[in-house]
Amino acid sequence: MEASRRDLLGVAVGSLGVLGAIGVLYPIVKVLSPSQASLAGAKVEVDVSQIPDLQVRVVSWKGKPVFVVKLPQGFQWNGKRANDQNTKLLQGQDAYALVAVCTHLGCVPLWKPQGEGEFNYPLFHCPCHGGFYSPWGDNIAGPPPRPLYVPPQKREGNKLIIGEEGFVKELT
Amino acid sequence: MIKTIFFTVLTVVFFYIVWINNIFAPHEKYEMPPEHRKIAMDYKYAKEGRELFIQNCAACHSVRYDALYPTQVQANPMLASLQEKYGKVLPRDVYESVFMNDLNALKESFGKVPPDLSTIYLVKGPEYLYNFILEPQKVLPGTTMPPVMTGRPEETAKIVAYLRYVSEPPPQEKAKRNIMGVVTIGYLIVVGVLIWLWRGRILKRMGLH
Amino acid sequence: MIGRVGRWFNERAKLSELWQSQMVDYKVPKTLTFPYAFGVMAIVAFLIQIISGIFLVMYYQPNIHTAFDSANYTIMKEVPFMWLIRNVHAAGANFFLAVVYLHIFTGIYYNAYKKPRELTWIVGFFIYFVLLMTALSGYLLPWGQLSYWGMVVTTEIPTSIDSAPIIGKLKIGETISVWMKGGYELGQITLGRFFGLHIWLLPLILLGLVGFHFYLIRAHGITSPDGREIDKKKEGVPFHPYITLKEGAYLMGYLAVFFFFVFFYMKHFLPADNYDPANPFKTPAHIAPEWYLLAFYTMFRSIPDKFLGFVVFNLALILLLILPFLDFSPLRSARNRPLFFAMFVVLVISSMALTILGTMPPTPTNALLGLIFTLGFISFFISLPIISILEWGWYKAKGGSKND
Repeated sequence: MEASRRDLLGVAVGSLGVLGAIGVLYPIVKVLSPSQASLAGAKVEVDVSQIPDLQVRVVSWKGKPVFVVKLPQGFQWNGKRANDQNTKLLQGQDAYALVAVCTHLGCVPLWKPQGEGEFNYPLFHCPCHGGFYSPWGDNIAGPPPRPLYVPPQKREGNKLIIGEEGFVKELT
Repeated sequence: MIKTIFFTVLTVVFFYIVWINNIFAPHEKYEMPPEHRKIAMDYKYAKEGRELFIQNCAACHSVRYDALYPTQVQANPMLASLQEKYGKVLPRDVYESVFMNDLNALKESFGKVPPDLSTIYLVKGPEYLYNFILEPQKVLPGTTMPPVMTGRPEETAKIVAYLRYVSEPPPQEKAKRNIMGVVTIGYLIVVGVLIWLWRGRILKRMGLH
Repeated sequence: MIGRVGRWFNERAKLSELWQSQMVDYKVPKTLTFPYAFGVMAIVAFLIQIISGIFLVMYYQPNIHTAFDSANYTIMKEVPFMWLIRNVHAAGANFFLAVVYLHIFTGIYYNAYKKPRELTWIVGFFIYFVLLMTALSGYLLPWGQLSYWGMVVTTEIPTSIDSAPIIGKLKIGETISVWMKGGYELGQITLGRFFGLHIWLLPLILLGLVGFHFYLIRAHGITSPDGREIDKKKEGVPFHPYITLKEGAYLMGYLAVFFFFVFFYMKHFLPADNYDPANPFKTPAHIAPEWYLLAFYTMFRSIPDKFLGFVVFNLALILLLILPFLDFSPLRSARNRPLFFAMFVVLVISSMALTILGTMPPTPTNALLGLIFTLGFISFFISLPIISILEWGWYKAKGGSKND
């Protein structure tokens, strides 16, 4: 009886101590959590009528560079198609946004409307290790393991809203 | 024993005077009718107060922490793009340098840039603000603040409610903090008592009591 | 697995031996009273300041244009729970100083500064002094009206030297003042240097001094309330668990009071006037130093001559420093020394009265009262050698000798 009660007290003090430590850590973790402001800034509007056909604008979304691509009416592209994930997703859109980060090692690809080297049609070329992407961001040659990421986006007339659900629902 | 009581009482009284209620220091008191005090202390009126503030005060005053700028600045097309870059609440140096002309125009008419009112509630308290906004010359003779709200005590109280809303944490947040406070203090007291009991047990076992 | 790693570590670091020798075999008198707990409260207050300070530095900006907003918008409104950390830091500074004052007065009461503990006292004095510097420099950082004008007045204090006869001509005071500010005006340079001092240099010095203070306490053991040095082998109780748990329980009570202020009563620790951004063209209507400096402030203010006032409040500090050498009586602890006890009461009441007078308007009556209590404060130190000589007389009459 004596012993068990003493032990109970010890256990109570010990477990309350652990609880207290968690209580102290909680606000500290909260303080270090990502700031509301930088998360809230995750919406960018682009007026696509200002972008000439077959040109690309770079804007910043969630701290990352994003390409806004403008294609001419009835644009035909007869390049190599190794992968058509993005092409399907963005079908029928004359303006859309792609995360401008090469999926290989994080460089920003270059837009080559005249083509590059053996490819004589518009494409993205990553200068770091020679990855190639179609205008819709599908990887067609070089080391990239997958297409460029596509941010959620929505079209309202001339406005392309990046970061809001629309014809692309989520980052893919 | 008497000495213990003497020093304890002396210390507690001393810190009570110095930290909580200094009966010796001068205090300024301003009166406020209770019905208007009730309005000023009610967050319900903050929204209405904001509208009234924009109509009557925002010609000269900013409330930067609420992203409310003087009318002239608000009309400046640069504001929107700056807010896109820096967030709704502009950094003070950016705000003051970009809108220097607008602020200087205000300075010319009033002798100084009318102060930003983001934290004024915390500085002055509701009674002073109510009286000052209602009749500036009476409270602070010689001030350049025009008597905009004279004769409109209820609306003044609503403006005070708005200024309070900007300065103080919102009510749910306040309630959360109160609960946190009570839980923390309760926790410490319980742990203290448990340690004391535990110590008694240990000392008994060691034969030290 | 964890047990094995723990054992491996323990065998190399010899932690359990350290624990055994410093916590369990370290014997203390059984009769330690409540005021002995102020020491452990002070060290906990210091830890709280360091931890909360680390997080404040992450969001505070030492720039005169953004300092105020970073303290009152980013910290108080934007980042979750930063309001709590700022409240803890602001209230913590006041509690730290309060506990240090109580610790000092406890030390005086029980004569803890007597041989062989003079050095402990002197190191403690420097901890107190550096702590005041830290508090002063930290007070500037929010860049509110009180921060700004408080520092204006502080940096003007050295100019009192210039009103002295003869040496005043050298303008030493003004030079010191300009060096403190880094220029003629209180601006970005001042903020930068006080920020650096507040977050790096002064806390590091404090850490070193506190470590030395601790070492000295362990080296000489603790005084007992009745003034008798204990025979450690026979009478002492083990520091752990006898004292650790007792003071641990007191500590919880202290923290409960502390958090009451943190959550429900910050009005005094984050004063209203400091929510007004610094304005070099307008002095706030009521400006006085923080409460922990008010006693010195009243001494400075009550004495009609500027230089003399400066001398007197520095004298008060120096008297505190040389206290172990003023009191050379063979008797220890105010419990055994009625004369000393009477003068101690005079000291406590004078210090409290000086502090409270500092919050009152400087009328002629208050100046006179300030003068009287300044004399009361100093009379404690002046009376010590006299009391000591008297007590030597009694001690010898009772058959004690110098070699006892």
